[in-house]
Amino acid sequence: MMSFNFAIVLKFQEALLLGLWTTLKLTLICIVLGCVLGFLLALARASKSAILRGVSGVYVEFFRGTPVLVQLFWIFFCLPLILGVELSNMASGIIALTLYMGAISSETFRASLKSVGREQLDACVALGLSPWVRTTSVVLPQAVLRAAPTLLSNCVSLFKESALVSAVGMADLMFVGQNISNNTARPVEVLTVVALIYFVIAFPLTRAVTVVEQRILKRLAV
Amino acid sequence: MSDTAALVKIEGLHKSYGGVIKVLQGLDIEMKAGDRVVVIGPSGGGKSTLLRVLMGLEQIDSGSILFSGKPYISANGSGKTVIDAKVRRSIGMVFQHYTLFPHLDVIGNLILAPTKVRGESKAVARERAMALLTRFGLAAKANAYPAQLSGGQKQRVAIARALMLDPKLMLFDEVTSALDPELVAEVEQVILQLAQQQMPMVIVTHDMWFAKNIASRVIFCAGGVVVEDGPPEQVLGDPKEERTREFIERVFHIKH
Ligand SMILES: Nc1ncnc2c1ncn2[C@@H]1O[C@H](COP(=O)(O)OP(=O)(O)OP(=O)(O)O)[C@@H](O)[C@H]1O
Ligand SMILES: [Mg+2]
Repeated sequence: MMSFNFAIVLKFQEALLLGLWTTLKLTLICIVLGCVLGFLLALARASKSAILRGVSGVYVEFFRGTPVLVQLFWIFFCLPLILGVELSNMASGIIALTLYMGAISSETFRASLKSVGREQLDACVALGLSPWVRTTSVVLPQAVLRAAPTLLSNCVSLFKESALVSAVGMADLMFVGQNISNNTARPVEVLTVVALIYFVIAFPLTRAVTVVEQRILKRLAV
Repeated sequence: MSDTAALVKIEGLHKSYGGVIKVLQGLDIEMKAGDRVVVIGPSGGGKSTLLRVLMGLEQIDSGSILFSGKPYISANGSGKTVIDAKVRRSIGMVFQHYTLFPHLDVIGNLILAPTKVRGESKAVARERAMALLTRFGLAAKANAYPAQLSGGQKQRVAIARALMLDPKLMLFDEVTSALDPELVAEVEQVILQLAQQQMPMVIVTHDMWFAKNIASRVIFCAGGVVVEDGPPEQVLGDPKEERTREFIERVFHIKH
């Protein structure tokens, strides 16, 4: 009978932490860039220009409708050929996950922008607020507030999906875990620990989504 | 300008939605500075549309509106509506459905426009806001969010928010009809208070008691035109037009 030896994992503590650091860095960068991209895409999808609407629509549907792993391979192998420049693993990973995060968060922003009703805009006009003040002081804060819970879920998804970059050789937490498991022939122990690390970070965030959501719904229920 | 000059002069106002739904079909209304006009009429008769046009929220098809003798709204040759934004800022409106900004607390709602539009300092605006809230019995709610207020409180805050800009004309569109009956009085009291201070206003209401108490003048509006226009005792008490009589009997259950 096979026995488990979790102690072996401790030996690779440092390598795992380094991998986790890469994962967190990658995720955070892509969250920030992806949210900016997503907000711009949401504006484009609601714009008056049919071209902007069309291009952004196709983009979003494409990235939401294809496996992230395929997108990753595509960026990793095809983008350098198209651009004619070498891309580091990190750069490919950032580009791929940012494009993905942009697509999913744009849907979130789009729904929240729509939820700011016409009555709110009427009130702005009646108070003499300029279009700029209207956008920055009334529409944007409400849209971001409403988007916050779903955005937080998007972030958790991205954090977990980021494990895919290990497939293109980026030394993230998943990649380090796989290496250790190959070297030690202890896949069960090592991968369980890796899964636990992902879980310990993702779980509080998913719980937070519920709390944040309830608070925001209570605040905006008028 | 003589003191008999009209505060608002609406001439030949036509307004449709998409050219198909003709809502206002040639309105002529002249309002003097001391007037408190109550507009009554059947549902779909264009009362809200009239107020929205006056607030500068809608495009018009033709006609013009003067405010204190100055051009305010007109339709130019190519059918585009021209609105004088400066005049618009001297008009305040309170809507039927609460339109407070839910992400701001009560004080935040009150000071947003004065600080952002008029460049007033936050401290000065807050001070004025607190004075208004105190007057309206809402001082304790200054830091509450709209979702924590009753309907009556929300409407009083909405009125206070409009008053922060020192309007020369206030528009009220059925501001109590979304309220629970026991909350109607507190909002009507606030508006009556404003009336005592000679604030010119146009009010759309289905509340007979309120109409009688606040109006200096009542306009019965149906089918997009003014059917009857006169002092409250006459229009509400002894209407000349058959359509007015019918409406008042039906809605207010009054037999003449
Ligand atoms: N945004 C809009 N688009 C199209 N039609 C509209 C719009 N707003 C109002 N209408 C139509 O214009 C007509 C007049 O509406 P309005 O709201 O001014 O009536 P009202 O007198 O205020 O009625 P109520 O007593 O029910 O509030 C109605 O037939 C209504 O359906
Ligand atoms: Mg109406």
